[in-house]
Amino acid sequence: MTLIGNSIPRTDAVEKVSGKSVYGVDVGVLGMLHGCLLRSPVPCGTIARLDTTAAISMPGVRYICTSADQPDTRAGWVLCEQHLFATECVRYEGEPIAAVVADSREQARAAVNAIDLQIEERPGVDLIAAMADDPATDLVHPEWETYQPLAGPETDHPRHRNVAAQMSSDPDDVDLIFEQADLVVEDELISHRQYQAYIEPKSAIAMFADGRYTIHTASQYPFNVRDRVAQFLGIRPSNVRVVGHTIGGGFGGKLDAALEPIAAFMAKQTGHPVRIANDRTEDLLTCPSRENAVVKIRTALDADGRMTARELLCDMDNGAYSAESIWLASLPLHLAKGVYQVGPTRVISRLHYTNTAPTGAFRGVGGTYLYAAVERHMDSIADTLGIDRRQYRLDHLLDTGDTLLNGQVLENTSTLKTAFERLDEILPWDEANKAKGPYEGLGIAGCVWLTNPMPGQATVKVNEDGTITVITSATDNGSGALAMGITQIVAEEFGVAPEEVHITSPDTDVTGYDSGSQGSRTTHIVGRAALDASHKAKEQLFEVAAGMLEANPADMRIVDGEIGVVGAPGSRVSLGEVAATATWTIGPIVAAASYTTPPVDFNPACASGLLFPTMPTPTYHAHMAAVEVDPITGQIEVQRYAVAQDVGRAINPIGVRGQIQGAVAQGIGHTIYESLQIQECRYLERSLENYRLPLAIDIPTVEFVLIEDPDSEGPYGAKGVAEPPITLVSAVIANAVSDAIGAPITKIPITPEDVLEALG
Amino acid sequence: MSPVETPTLVNGRSVAINGDGTTTLLSFLRDSLGLMGTKEGCSEGECGACTVLIDSQPVTSCIYPALAAQGRTIETIEGVHEGADLSPVQKALVATGGIQCGFCTPGFVMTLTGLLRKEPNPNADEVAESLAGNLCRCTGYSQIVEAAMSLSEPEEET
Repeated sequence: MTLIGNSIPRTDAVEKVSGKSVYGVDVGVLGMLHGCLLRSPVPCGTIARLDTTAAISMPGVRYICTSADQPDTRAGWVLCEQHLFATECVRYEGEPIAAVVADSREQARAAVNAIDLQIEERPGVDLIAAMADDPATDLVHPEWETYQPLAGPETDHPRHRNVAAQMSSDPDDVDLIFEQADLVVEDELISHRQYQAYIEPKSAIAMFADGRYTIHTASQYPFNVRDRVAQFLGIRPSNVRVVGHTIGGGFGGKLDAALEPIAAFMAKQTGHPVRIANDRTEDLLTCPSRENAVVKIRTALDADGRMTARELLCDMDNGAYSAESIWLASLPLHLAKGVYQVGPTRVISRLHYTNTAPTGAFRGVGGTYLYAAVERHMDSIADTLGIDRRQYRLDHLLDTGDTLLNGQVLENTSTLKTAFERLDEILPWDEANKAKGPYEGLGIAGCVWLTNPMPGQATVKVNEDGTITVITSATDNGSGALAMGITQIVAEEFGVAPEEVHITSPDTDVTGYDSGSQGSRTTHIVGRAALDASHKAKEQLFEVAAGMLEANPADMRIVDGEIGVVGAPGSRVSLGEVAATATWTIGPIVAAASYTTPPVDFNPACASGLLFPTMPTPTYHAHMAAVEVDPITGQIEVQRYAVAQDVGRAINPIGVRGQIQGAVAQGIGHTIYESLQIQECRYLERSLENYRLPLAIDIPTVEFVLIEDPDSEGPYGAKGVAEPPITLVSAVIANAVSDAIGAPITKIPITPEDVLEALG
Repeated sequence: MSPVETPTLVNGRSVAINGDGTTTLLSFLRDSLGLMGTKEGCSEGECGACTVLIDSQPVTSCIYPALAAQGRTIETIEGVHEGADLSPVQKALVATGGIQCGFCTPGFVMTLTGLLRKEPNPNADEVAESLAGNLCRCTGYSQIVEAAMSLSEPEEET
């Protein structure tokens, strides 16, 4: 029986359902102290007074630290901008200003409240102000020109004043084609922020001994935390050890360091282990949420309705510091055409500094609102031309050999058409359109998405009892990439049951570099590394077994945990016996392998500032939604939701289903429930009481069909699965709501007030 | 505690509640009893990760004063298994794949345990409504609802 394609339960399911898993917040260390942060209560201003005299004499207080004590370093994922603590000015509400270490969390909190802080507040810069790019607008970072990219000054990218990154692609003839167009269609979409809202708030414990730091945290990307701690403290990365624990959800929000650098610094200063944990409001206010953005798009059409040229302008809110978002400013180039044939396309994206919390990666990153903008626009074009919206898409779909705007030739593009056809089997477009009642609407859209190509590593150890240990710093953020994907791949290779495979917790001292649970990479990248390592370990086993069975290593096979000789059914020896024999003869069976996706060809001259240049290991998708709108209350009900998704190969179909269902639920949340509004640079929603997450009653059971078009490099053909199903949700729901009410939706989330306003 | 008072039971074991009026039941369970399976997600009774049963009723222990649980019967995730076996709700969640990161899972187990004790054969709408106080950010809920429905034989299918 093959394990690949088998819906076995995740190997950590029993532990998790019994409440036995140890999450980041469950970790404690004997002798630890508790840290608490003084965070800026205002978005923008100058620190006029910061007096810790009263606080330091409070009960239980051991140490208080401000910017006066911090290392003279600047840190950042791409661009080095940040200190540990705000120095003279504060740039966003929630920015750390000071930290207290005390015997208990309550004592630390009380002392934070006793710090005398006065800030001369100024009006902050928000996205609308930054977009004007007016020399009179205040600079969020007056010293922006002194900032250096982490990878060295020669890697610096286009940026100026409040623009942290600019990507521009301006091919010839765009303006000329617009002048000669038979018709020009224009649209705009405004998208608000979305908070990852994982249920486990962030926490970290740090220890310091003999020049080295040990950090316990539930990070999606332990090596990134290692590097950030090293940057903030001005030390070598190898002097930081990050140990990972079970992650209570991440969705991109736990990719960068958060509390870890401050905890590490406090551990060194106090000589004790220090734990810092966010309360929910701190977490919400400072989490790198999905950025708010404004997308303007217009398309030139010829007399036959062909899209002969396009312009897409995207303004993204970076917040006060830049993190990963500088790379993500490249995304508009890849998505501007959607999955359709469009002529020369000008794309300019600008990432603006504002006096708001830094934004970052959230599952699907900017794809959610970029596809919403592009696919709303496709509906506008089809409606303007009087052509059926699905048919117009099919008539202009990308085909084999077509390229993205970066010149990348897409592979297996015909899968797109397959996706639209398979979608129709679940929810037939024509029938559903005919059956629509008043205030019911349908939306449809297609997309291409990438599988994150970044490197990973796995070591496979065959134990003397025949079990297998996989040593890696890959993380399972809940997706099942380890507890299903890699477990099943390795178990399959050795012919053992999944429970015979144990995968270690991340430890940056022990394993090779891993790029974290992001962009659906773990099963594809680390699964491939684990597969290659398994092959190497098997070669060693076969050498030893051949000696034991007096046969040729080339004739060895593993079946059901036993190594045997092909054609000689009686000649077999168990995996454990071989591993034990090997251990005491040639030494233990251990093999390692690394993998990263080979670079994809593209045209570097297509754009300036293109830091994230291609869409590796692409997958293709089509989604459809049926909604009903209540014209009295403006409430939207998602009645049906259908997905056709190219997964390469579904290692575990029940796990794949969970990723699709969960991603669509987050997309529905973003599109109709989760309002995270910014007013005068402050969030209006500040807790889970008013940040409204979707509930069980809000989410339909997603209907889906998997398209298995195997990838030649992925383990058993697997491509990225977990991220793409969120990228089309805003697009199809916004299209469906627009269809239902007969008026265009131009904003995400679509609140009941928006619906009623559109209805007039 | 006077000898005539009803004992406070946590997972069948008699305990003495310590702490003052500000101590939450969640803090008592985790910090005093070392029952770490009950999780804190929001500290304001919104997310449901801290759900336990008090006299078979699901409550959010993060906003429930420990002293108010005096003399009551408290069940946590550590107490729902049946001998060495998982409980039916736990087995069903494993089987339907209603578990991802798992941080919310103990709360869901407790709410569904309470629901099925009160209403052994709920329909899917009743299950979803009973989960209005439990947030799950990973699964999109369907496989959790299906887990409960696999234990239910409702009179009318919904």
